[in-house]
Amino acid sequence: MNRSTYILPVIVIAVAAILSSIFIVDERQKALVLQFGQIVSVKEDPGIGFKIPLVQEVVFYDDRILALDVDPLEVTPLDDRRLIVDAFARYRITDVERFRQAVGTGGEETAARRLDSILRSETREVLGSVSSNDILSTDRAALMLRIRNAAISEANALGVTIIDVRLKRTDLPSENLNATFQRMVAERAREAEDERARGREAAQRIEAQADRTVVELVSEASREARIIEGEADALRNNIFAQAYGQDAEFFQFYRSLEAYGIAIGQGNARLVLSPDHEFFNYLRNENGTTTPDR
Amino acid sequence: MAGNNGGPWGGGGNDGDDDDDRFRPNGNGDRNGGRRPNNDPQIPEFDEIINKTKDQLRVLIGGGDGRKSDGGGGAGGAGGPQITRGMVGLGALAAVAVWAFSSFYTVRPEQKSVELFLGASYAIGEPGLNFAPWPFVTAEVVNVTQEQTIEIGVGRGNAADAGLMLTGDENIVDIDFQVVWNITEPDRFLFNLADPETTIAAVAESSMREIIAQSELAPILNRDRGAIADGVAEQVQRTLDSYDSGVNIIRVNLQAVNPPSQVIAVEDLDGNTTQTSPLSAFRDVQDAEQERDRLQNLADAYANRVLAQARGDAARVLEQAEGYRARVVNEAQGEASRFLAVLGEYQLAPEVTRQRLYLETVEAVFGATDIILLDDNGQGGGGVVPYLPLDQVRRPTTDGGSN
Repeated sequence: MNRSTYILPVIVIAVAAILSSIFIVDERQKALVLQFGQIVSVKEDPGIGFKIPLVQEVVFYDDRILALDVDPLEVTPLDDRRLIVDAFARYRITDVERFRQAVGTGGEETAARRLDSILRSETREVLGSVSSNDILSTDRAALMLRIRNAAISEANALGVTIIDVRLKRTDLPSENLNATFQRMVAERAREAEDERARGREAAQRIEAQADRTVVELVSEASREARIIEGEADALRNNIFAQAYGQDAEFFQFYRSLEAYGIAIGQGNARLVLSPDHEFFNYLRNENGTTTPDR
Repeated sequence: MAGNNGGPWGGGGNDGDDDDDRFRPNGNGDRNGGRRPNNDPQIPEFDEIINKTKDQLRVLIGGGDGRKSDGGGGAGGAGGPQITRGMVGLGALAAVAVWAFSSFYTVRPEQKSVELFLGASYAIGEPGLNFAPWPFVTAEVVNVTQEQTIEIGVGRGNAADAGLMLTGDENIVDIDFQVVWNITEPDRFLFNLADPETTIAAVAESSMREIIAQSELAPILNRDRGAIADGVAEQVQRTLDSYDSGVNIIRVNLQAVNPPSQVIAVEDLDGNTTQTSPLSAFRDVQDAEQERDRLQNLADAYANRVLAQARGDAARVLEQAEGYRARVVNEAQGEASRFLAVLGEYQLAPEVTRQRLYLETVEAVFGATDIILLDDNGQGGGGVVPYLPLDQVRRPTTDGGSN
């Protein structure tokens, strides 16, 4: 009975002691064993580790590739055009001992702040030594490499290896942005106006051509018509000439009679005649002689 | 401690048999013992546990009411040790169940797991039931085949110009795109990148901006889209490989590639200030192209109309002329042949015909005409002045004409 009452606390204490004297380092971590703040040992490989309970403490650091997003900064390249540059870096804590010495208890946040300022100054320096065209166009990869190489030695002092520095945004400041937009709009306006003007031009051309063709067609037709009419008149005259030419005297007589009929035979005239008129010859006597027998 | 992450689920074992045997000695015979006849030494132990449990149950049921009143002090009493032993058995059983429950876990077909033995990576778990004996082995399950998507340039409320990129000819283009990726090597994925999503997004954005900066605006907007997507995918893959990230870029989808839609004040050709954006300016160009076509079509329509009208008019004029020709010639021929016919008859008997024609004509003329016979040269009627009231002369004829 008495023994069993002691056994339980003893077991608990033993278990607690064992648990607090071992620690497990994950694949993603590195660990430092500190004794009163002094670095006693470094555990870089994953697995189980041991420490003295209460006296020693373990600090874990991330062993993976860490991200650092640098705030956008304005750089002034050689040609004095200003650019907004947004960089980011990938780094890894390689030397935990130096890392601990450099950043103290601040850990990764402090390191990120330090790296941020390192990267900002290196970015400014590298991008300030080239022209903006180099930054904006083809040489970007080379510039990123230069920034990385420049930052690497400073970062090494922090126990950190910079794996990669990349530029995300390289943009014009907002005031230049507006001017660029204006230029883009103006370019498009030029193109649009050109299209519209060409449309109007083509329309006018087409319409004018059509009008001309109309005049041509109509006048051609009227020329043809006059020719036809002339031919018809000529033929008519020819026909008449041939017919009437056979007896000109009779034609005169015949046509005159016809003309009288048309000219005064329609009830539109009133004739005042003398009884001596040839027509009345037999009205006067049966012989039809012109001299009256009085 | 690092070993506490992951959520293993319990079940029967089909994997990790060696571990099973290694960790068996603490008496977990209740489930596995029945299935494995070769574990002979454990069967008596199992029976023993059953018996103990029976005993304990009997004690609890049989004397339950009698002891209830002083049950709190039972630990120090005579029945104390017996109850404690039974409780220990039950507790052990429960502990084993909990342990088994937390040591088995399933990996679904689209997943893989990474098993860590005391924090160190030692195995990849394939789909199915997996065994990770707690607390020595922990497992992390990740989706591998499942495609994951990161959108860049859209849905970021913090910056309106998030997708704006500078092109090689110093224009600005607004690009929204997606990166579709999955995990090829779960261990690398877990252990190499602290923040894979933002890393992939940042690398993709950087690559996209780099490639956009090397090409001109016009081809970006239309024909180079496929090439740009491929180029970005390749470059992102290369960068991520350099991080040893275990990530596979499946593809890059360019969703929207547009001129910027930021509204700015622009002075136009006539000096008016209008609010517009590069995007609407680009659309206006398309409108203008349409308008150009429209104007041309309208002009074509006009041309078609007036030309057809003119052709009709021309045809009418020509036909009228032909009609005139036919009429004139026919009339002339008719009249000529009439004359010739009369002439023929006339030549047969000229005097008579001539007289007859004359008389017929005069008859017709006089018959239709008012005639006033006036003997002007007769001596008997001398002194009679013919009075001719012209206004009255007119009247009867007009009356007669109208009648």
